[in-house]
Amino acid sequence: MPSAIRDHYHSPTRTGIIKFINCRLVKGDQVVHEDLWINSSTGKVIHGQTLFYGSHAVPDRVIDLGGRLVSPGLIDVQFNGGFGFDFSQVPEDITSYAKGVAKLNKSLVQTGVTSYLPTIVSQKSEVYHKTLPYIGPSGSRRIGSDGSESLGSHCEGPFLNASKCGIHSTSILRPPTNGFADLLDCYGESNMSPAYSPIKLVTLAPELEGAADAIEELVSRGIVVSIGHSEATYEEATTAITNGATMITHLFNAMRPLHHRNPGIFGVLGTPATEQVKKPYFGVIADGVHLHPTSVTLAWNSHPSGFVLVTDAMSVLGMPDGTYDWTNGERFIKKGHVLTLEGTDGTIAGCAISLLECVNNFLQWSGATIPQALGAATSTPAAMLGLEDVKGSLEPDADADLLVLTDDPDESGNTVLKVDQVWKFGEMVHSSI
Amino acid sequence: MRLIIRDDPETASKYIADYIVDRINAFEPTPEKPFVLGLPTGSSPVLIYKHLVQRYHDGQISFRNVITFNMDEYVGIPENHPESYHSFMWKHFFSHVDVDPSNVNILNGNAADLETECIAYEEKIKAAGGIELFLGGIGPDGHIAFNEPGSSLASRTRVKTLAYDTILANSRFFGNDLKQVPRMALTVGVQTVLDAREVAVIITGAHKALALQKCIEGGLNHMWTLSSLQLHPHALLVVDEDATLELQVKTVKYFKSIEEVAANCGFGQTLPSEAKISRKRDSVLEELQSPKSGSPKGLFLEMPKREEIRRSVTPDLVPDSMASRIPEDQGRGMGGLTPGELPIQSMGARVEPAQLKV
Repeated sequence: MPSAIRDHYHSPTRTGIIKFINCRLVKGDQVVHEDLWINSSTGKVIHGQTLFYGSHAVPDRVIDLGGRLVSPGLIDVQFNGGFGFDFSQVPEDITSYAKGVAKLNKSLVQTGVTSYLPTIVSQKSEVYHKTLPYIGPSGSRRIGSDGSESLGSHCEGPFLNASKCGIHSTSILRPPTNGFADLLDCYGESNMSPAYSPIKLVTLAPELEGAADAIEELVSRGIVVSIGHSEATYEEATTAITNGATMITHLFNAMRPLHHRNPGIFGVLGTPATEQVKKPYFGVIADGVHLHPTSVTLAWNSHPSGFVLVTDAMSVLGMPDGTYDWTNGERFIKKGHVLTLEGTDGTIAGCAISLLECVNNFLQWSGATIPQALGAATSTPAAMLGLEDVKGSLEPDADADLLVLTDDPDESGNTVLKVDQVWKFGEMVHSSI
Repeated sequence: MRLIIRDDPETASKYIADYIVDRINAFEPTPEKPFVLGLPTGSSPVLIYKHLVQRYHDGQISFRNVITFNMDEYVGIPENHPESYHSFMWKHFFSHVDVDPSNVNILNGNAADLETECIAYEEKIKAAGGIELFLGGIGPDGHIAFNEPGSSLASRTRVKTLAYDTILANSRFFGNDLKQVPRMALTVGVQTVLDAREVAVIITGAHKALALQKCIEGGLNHMWTLSSLQLHPHALLVVDEDATLELQVKTVKYFKSIEEVAANCGFGQTLPSEAKISRKRDSVLEELQSPKSGSPKGLFLEMPKREEIRRSVTPDLVPDSMASRIPEDQGRGMGGLTPGELPIQSMGARVEPAQLKV
């Protein structure tokens, strides 16, 4: 058990500089015994040495973390809602939507998720028009007490294959027959501006008519394209990657299974990377329900640096068990962290698990090290989004979104990560000790 | 010169760290009267810094009113380079203690005008009131700071080209690529070190044994720049047993006995403060000027209890006569005589009485 955290003020002058000592930093694939310096005024990790020699500045707060781990904050790139709020549900009064998002951010940050992609499952066009302006990147204020930060939204649909719809309503799914023009029409032109878009990631089925054109145009606008809810063959998936897709949405779920004569989408992870075709990143739901633990480790071993843990969490995350209304007039049943669609033969409807629980599951199943397991929810998703210098990192100039963790073993001897503190933009926003 | 011998690098480093802590605490530095400390880099001092940081964490020492001057820095590598001496000092010492960054002085190897940088450094030392204690390490060739063999013993802070030996030795920090090792460095001079009120040097490891031997038992020589310490009134060398391998047994025993006797008499190695010396001088003068003075009361100091010295003792030499090692029944070559039995007779006894009459 690590010792108590001791926080003392060091200097009477307020520089806003905080030094964490007696801690273990998760840096890349290593755990290193180093101090960590952050600037709570700028909300960034700083290079203590440069500051010391260059500006002659010293920390005004020194926090002894009693040997705990410090990790970058977790990043969830597939998060549909939680704590009773659903990004896909439009209330009558839209201002209550904005309030709901703000409230959710404050709850979510306590679970260790410091940034995420608010995810909207397939909806009618008007839903995107109404909601997207409220769930674009929200970090510009850089205020830690705002809670978790949106890095831009994830539009999961509606350009998906109806035969792999999962719980998405088939009546809404459509092919982008006219290419990118259909996306503009669906998501709204103002939400797709080349200068600024609240959309960070789009999941689509690349085998649909017009998808190739949509992929190229999305990528040229800086929007990440992910392959998902798709019947794509191995060849079709490879073409999508050549066109610019760099991600696979919840690998194994809502796609053809691996067949030895047609390896399908999963097959692209087995192809050696070339100049033109890089191995894509891929999301994995490690809740123990969506995937067998062995499938998770199979995916990990096939391409560790592309492995991204996601929750696919629904609004009932953090809510009691029961039956809940969902979009498009449907209902689902929550039992523990398992969600199924009512009236079906147990179709899985996202989940209600926290990202840290997924990290712990993965740690237990895979034999990966702590930095590798945390990397799958920090540095790897950050790299997927092109934010590796800002998020998911403890290097100087990265945002000071931090988790203070313990890594004690449970009764059965498995290492379990537990959040003791959460820091957002250099400000402590949650403490459980 | 004081030579303190400890069993291993760990205990030698602890000794010197404790010495520095005692020195600073006895000095009672204030913002108006700061303690000026000269600092080295290199592998030997790492353990010293570790102990100093530990003592700081234990609340036994503060570096708030300590001004530091580092010995040297490479020319032409960025300050943030992991092998720069700025980075070394940050990693091993400055980032862990309460030293005021504006009190930290390290030569800037990227200064536009290196010569000016060196002159300014000497002036800064002067302005700080001179260095109270210069801590140092040495290279296997006996260099102190980057004063390579052949450096003037009267040298001052300047640009120095590194000896091939040093480049070879340091290449291990630069991926074993000789081309990556800087060719030049800025360094304080030998005279800059000698100007310090006290110089303390750590020397550990068998590979430095020859250097230690040359510097203590050899003469003053610019090929072993550390030997210049023979001219310093208050030099302190702290070494481990391995570093003494090339020394004569009597040298080692002599220095061990100095420490032993001093400890038994209650004296440590710490220098008396200037105030104490001048108080004594005043009282001596008073005594001398007063013809009726009685017994020299108050001249002798109370002897504080010293902690026991922890190190192995060189075994005493047990003298025996060579003959005692020869078995009884042998060694009768001299007509059965042993040295102890040699008959003593006067020479006159060997002369024939007849000849005496001539």
